[in-house]
Amino acid sequence: MDKRLLILPALLATLAAPAQAEPSSRVAWTPETLALVKAGNTGHGQELAKNLGCDGCHTGSTMPDAPHLAGQLATYLYRQLHDYKDRSRANDTMEAMAAGLSEQDMADLSAWYGKQEASAATPAQGAVEAAQRLASQGDKQRLVPACAACHGGGGQGQAQDVPRLAGQKPAYLAATLQAYKKGQRHNDVYQRMRAIAATLSDEEIHQLAEYYAAQGH
Amino acid sequence: MHINPLEKKWLFASLALVAVFLGSIFYTAFERNIHPPSHVETVDSAKLHLGGEFAEDKLGVVGQADGSVRVTLVAGRYGFYPRQMSVPAGRPVTFRIASMDVLHGVHVPMTNMGTMVVPGYVAQVTTVFPKPGEYPMLCNEYCGMGHDHMWSRITVVAADQWQPTATTKGSN
Amino acid sequence: MCDKDIKKLALAHLWVAFGAFGVASLLGFYQVVERSGLIPALKSPALYYGSVSTHGVLMAFVLTTFFIMGFGYHTAANNGAGFNRCAAWAGFWVAAVGTLLAALPLLTGNASVLFTFYPPMQAHPLFYIGATLLVVGSWVWCVLMVMAAGAWKQANPGAAMPLPLFATTGNAILWLWSSVGVALEVVFQLIPWSLGLVDTIDVGLARTLFSWTLHPIVYFWLIPAYIALYSFVPLAAGGKLFSEELARAAFVLIVVFGLPIGFHHLYMDPMQASGWKLAHGVGTYVVAIPTLITAFTVIASLEMAGRARGGQGLFGWIGALPWNQPMVLAAGLSLLMLLLGGFGGLVNASYAMNAMVHNTAWVPGHFHLIFAGTVVTLYFAVAYRLWPSLTGKAFRKPCLVLGQLWSWFGGMAILTTPWHILGLLGQPRRISSVEYDSPLVQSWGAYEAIMIAGGLVLLLSALLFVYNLASAHWQGEASGEDTVAYAEPLHPPGKIPALLNGYAVWNWVILLLMAASFGYPIAQFFLMKTFDSSPWGY
Repeated sequence: MDKRLLILPALLATLAAPAQAEPSSRVAWTPETLALVKAGNTGHGQELAKNLGCDGCHTGSTMPDAPHLAGQLATYLYRQLHDYKDRSRANDTMEAMAAGLSEQDMADLSAWYGKQEASAATPAQGAVEAAQRLASQGDKQRLVPACAACHGGGGQGQAQDVPRLAGQKPAYLAATLQAYKKGQRHNDVYQRMRAIAATLSDEEIHQLAEYYAAQGH
Repeated sequence: MHINPLEKKWLFASLALVAVFLGSIFYTAFERNIHPPSHVETVDSAKLHLGGEFAEDKLGVVGQADGSVRVTLVAGRYGFYPRQMSVPAGRPVTFRIASMDVLHGVHVPMTNMGTMVVPGYVAQVTTVFPKPGEYPMLCNEYCGMGHDHMWSRITVVAADQWQPTATTKGSN
Repeated sequence: MCDKDIKKLALAHLWVAFGAFGVASLLGFYQVVERSGLIPALKSPALYYGSVSTHGVLMAFVLTTFFIMGFGYHTAANNGAGFNRCAAWAGFWVAAVGTLLAALPLLTGNASVLFTFYPPMQAHPLFYIGATLLVVGSWVWCVLMVMAAGAWKQANPGAAMPLPLFATTGNAILWLWSSVGVALEVVFQLIPWSLGLVDTIDVGLARTLFSWTLHPIVYFWLIPAYIALYSFVPLAAGGKLFSEELARAAFVLIVVFGLPIGFHHLYMDPMQASGWKLAHGVGTYVVAIPTLITAFTVIASLEMAGRARGGQGLFGWIGALPWNQPMVLAAGLSLLMLLLGGFGGLVNASYAMNAMVHNTAWVPGHFHLIFAGTVVTLYFAVAYRLWPSLTGKAFRKPCLVLGQLWSWFGGMAILTTPWHILGLLGQPRRISSVEYDSPLVQSWGAYEAIMIAGGLVLLLSALLFVYNLASAHWQGEASGEDTVAYAEPLHPPGKIPALLNGYAVWNWVILLLMAASFGYPIAQFFLMKTFDSSPWGY
């Protein structure tokens, strides 16, 4: 079939659809999706990770924009891969990586990294008092809940897909908060992180990154 | 059977008391149309953000042609989204709220704006805020370890100063 | 006849009940301090919600169920109604094992779902299984009580069943009916879901089923307190029961109308239509009538006793009453708290006003006054009444018994008054700290501080109660008391109509009322398209 013919209905559909912004993320935690991630095949995930060379950036490297994945919530990893594939989250390398993955591949990769032992904490550089306060109490004037409310008392993450922060690379954490603050990252449903990050100062972001990197075992 | 005359009188008094209470409830229900939020409507809580009424860009405050105001909110750990909103005083405000995760409740203290927000169901409640001011809109149902932090801010402004489009979008 | 074995059975139940009560009181004091925020080092939502869950389960399920079972067995045996004792012990152990199983996840923070379960937040399966076993143990009691009453009627054809036995049987029937709701929820929804056998849960259905249980359970707790008011208080005051027939009518009304009215707990829920809520609301007011009757009959009985003791004038009889009798003192304090708590209850029950107080601090203020105040005070009094005959030992210091009752009343007043005010000032219940940025919250601090004082008094009073019982049991001198007597009615019951001497017909009435009030509201979840929820942690 001539591929050009397919463009016409697609164009018509776009015009006919009511003006509706793209959702922040196309992943919905339906029972089916949860079950898919929960049943991820770690063996196949390990193989995929080897073939794709994920560890090159994500394990052992000091690349600031490549986070540790070990011990991360599988649900979180799955959604990020899906968001890269859907272009809900932007990153050239990761979009290309995710493009060829099937639903099952993403679940398997997530399960493989989810069951690894989380990376060790790195001692915080500089003062973290402000971060400590934000993490445990938040700041009610700014409508900022305690980080611990969603990310857990030790930054271990929480259902369904609130990520683990403890032991993460500080440079990655800081870059992520900055990206949320500037709206460059926008795959947080209902702008939950963007609204919070927008109120944080650069100094607070730096401290929070150092603070959470130093958490965990 | 022994029914003492005093007992009989007391029984009548009890029945009269209950009748007075029920009478005032019927009066407020049928004459003043005051009912608790009881809008039996289902919704797929897991897919709220994918599209439809509770999609991200549909949330917020919208003035209606008849002068009333509609507020569409999503309740989720740990806040009501959008986090800040502004509504006019003295005009009927209808809230439509859905939960994206667990059981929540919403209450604006010192007002009768309140409803449970049960996942799988749309909660709808209409109220009139008599006085301008800044109110916390807080979660009043245990929803997890961050429950204490679950609140948003609702500003009630005088009707003639209210801008329908001031804070219709999700961000603060 | 109350022989040694029955006493052992009753004591085992009462000690589990009061042991749970002592632990729960400690947790209660911790909670009131934690949530005040005055000691920042204590702040911990995880500990707080684990503690609230444990406190609620111990007080509302363990204290009550074991007390009711122990008191019920004692009442039946003392009124000539026999039952299978091996089965009774089996029920005790099933309930005790259930309590222990539920305690494991509760105390390790794996069941912080409070005592109403909160789906779709999911607790460890052991919590639901343990709670189910506790209820199954109580069902053994229910069946034994109903069978004992039947056997009594067969052995005494045409005779009026003794009032305490009649009321205990009514409570067993009430609990069988009311526990079906939560049993359906736990067995068909929560347990399969927590074990991963099914993926989702319909929260609307789960809440509707729980509401079936949630109101009559209050009468399950209350009926033993009313038995004390009708059967022990007039005698302790030196008088007789003013009217036995009306007492029976009150118990029947509670059993019949206490059941089909649970929707006042769902007034603010979106998944039930307003017509059903209004219908349940009407029933909620109707069931106030037996309480009004009880207050009248008990006060009339006390007045007669007071006048017989030489009390004069409109109120002189009050002063003439023997207030140094724990049972009389407990009745006076309970009725006072019932009056105030009942007023608050009218607000909660109100179809329209409820929105102002729903899930505010007003609600725990209310039920602490009614349950922890009225009901538990009478549980204390029953324990004080039975102890000398159950253990054969006397209390070492009677003044400590009276002091304990007074301090519980005082503590409850200091705790619940600010609690009600906080509710009117908009404070929500079930928060572990105040995190709102609003001028409103500045008015809350002082009341929370006063509540700590109330909590402290209550904790000391609870410990004193356990001490009183333990010191009598293990160090007391012989009491010489072997049996427990019940108040005689002013007019001996002659011919009692069958409707006030058994529940056979009433069970059919209940069936009709339950089908009418819960039939469609439950069926609707199977008739409309619903979207179930996946499990969430907390």
